[in-house]
Amino acid sequence: MAATESPERRSMGDRVYDAIFTNRLWRSIFRSGYPNTPRNQMLAVATNVFLHLHPTRIHRTHVKITHTFCLGGLSFFLFLGLTISGVLLMFYYVPSVDRAYEDILALETDVRFGQLMRNMHRWMAHGMVLTVLMHMMRVFYTGAYKPPREFNWVVGVVLLVLTLLLSFTGYLLPWDQLALWAITVGTNMVGSAPLLGEPNRFVLVGGFQVGQAALIRFYTLHVIGLPLMAAVFMTVHFWRIRRDGGLARPL
Amino acid sequence: MAAAQTQPVAASRAVEARKRRQREEELLVWPDLVFIEFISAVLFTVLIVALAVLVDAVLLDRANPAVTPNPSKAPWYFLNLQELLLHMHPALAGVIVPTIALIALGAIPYYDNTAEGQGEWLSTPRAWLNMYVGAGTGAIGTLLLILFDDAQHAKLWEKVTGTAWPIPALRNLRAIQNDIPWPKSWTKVPLGDKVLRIDLLGLPKMHLDINIPGLLVEQIIPVSTMIGLPIVLSIVCWKAKIAQTKRDHMILQFSGFIAVYVMLTIVGTFFRGEGLALVPYTIFAEK
Ligand code: HEM
Repeated sequence: MAATESPERRSMGDRVYDAIFTNRLWRSIFRSGYPNTPRNQMLAVATNVFLHLHPTRIHRTHVKITHTFCLGGLSFFLFLGLTISGVLLMFYYVPSVDRAYEDILALETDVRFGQLMRNMHRWMAHGMVLTVLMHMMRVFYTGAYKPPREFNWVVGVVLLVLTLLLSFTGYLLPWDQLALWAITVGTNMVGSAPLLGEPNRFVLVGGFQVGQAALIRFYTLHVIGLPLMAAVFMTVHFWRIRRDGGLARPL
Repeated sequence: MAAAQTQPVAASRAVEARKRRQREEELLVWPDLVFIEFISAVLFTVLIVALAVLVDAVLLDRANPAVTPNPSKAPWYFLNLQELLLHMHPALAGVIVPTIALIALGAIPYYDNTAEGQGEWLSTPRAWLNMYVGAGTGAIGTLLLILFDDAQHAKLWEKVTGTAWPIPALRNLRAIQNDIPWPKSWTKVPLGDKVLRIDLLGLPKMHLDINIPGLLVEQIIPVSTMIGLPIVLSIVCWKAKIAQTKRDHMILQFSGFIAVYVMLTIVGTFFRGEGLALVPYTIFAEK
């Protein structure tokens, strides 16, 4: 158990805190007490697996909202939100050309909060493409791609591609006219590449035109393949931010 | 924890040059950062729920392979590529340009590897200037090229003077192929089957014929434009002392790229209607 300290003057509030935060149940979960002293605050960050993505201290300029506009964090936040709403949507959706469209209709009319869930998933998806692009611009204009952060910029470019692919594969799933033809136009672009284009398009679509084979491929990529890859690259991205000495600042 | 801060870090110019950490300049992540993150997460949750309550996601008719909507459009973030597709060979617009653009994007830090302007918004002396020049040139240049390829200059001429556009070959890009009396033999120059030896891969022999005017219009002119104009921009700005350092040129080019990207997306999204003609258009009219 990590050693903790208490503030010097114990007020009524501190006593209440102690009753809540120094009992065995709390301690079994969080190790340190409530983060009300500098030491406990650092322990709270350092001993928690999620908060440990952060360092315990951070340069004051990086706390200014106008430095990052929270854009990388928001991209991650949207990714998490998309995962949660996406799992809920999966309960009601079967990736079959005979059912997919009807499932979406049923989601909108029969399922409680179904329309809301679909809307949230859709808007967060569009939002994430935007925040990732804007995050890239903020990183560029703050000159944060410079050594030693070159490789993290490259990891970022991979994340940008993955984000676009995630959104693109999801676009087909409602199986309406918008979906079918957007994916047809998009995959035809792939097909136009010299020599390997057509074979690639064939593999992607699983046939000569967008049909059941394409739907199941896009679905599988959308719900498991690409999210896993994105999660892996995000892990590397966040790890590298720490390893590269936190966010960039003037030398 | 303490160990993590004193560990030796890989010797790179930037890391070596870093000053010792100044504790008094640092804040504690809990509460200073964690609270900002928490508040912005709450704010955005509210925003997204509000948006989702107010605006429904689009759902058109059931997919029907027999009915092609006019226009058919890719998702909005690919409409920039679809817009390019209207002006050049599909292999170029659909695959080669985006691939090269992504590689170039990834290569930025390997070209601009100085510490200049690091860690602060547009902090070098000519940063803002280069951003404005790059973005302005990119946006206006893209718009002009699109208007040219749509023969807007010829249409304007005809409207104003009441006479036909005098140089048919410069009506738009395709006119260079169609309205110049190219020698017949140029449209089919046989290169034989020795150029692309796909027979070595076990595929049937390929006889390659090239159509010089077609090649010019679909590939040579677009490629020279996309590579040439940024180079000209950098040279002009260098001579004019607008862009002097690597970081200056990088800001110039990146801003230009973003502006082109945004402009192509806007035109592709809002100004391509039936038959992908250049007219105002909105997806919401579909429903
Ligand atoms: C799914 C996409 C992405 C996520 C979730 C993500 C997340 C983050 C987060 C949370 C940060 C911390 C600072 C901040 O919020 O700005 C960050 C920093 C950074 N990101 Fe990303 N990012 C993504 C995509 C990108 C892209 C597309 C690029 C560039 C092409 C990029 C390059 C960087 C770099 C170089 C840093 C370090 C910035 C600094 O030192 O100031 N990231 N990212």
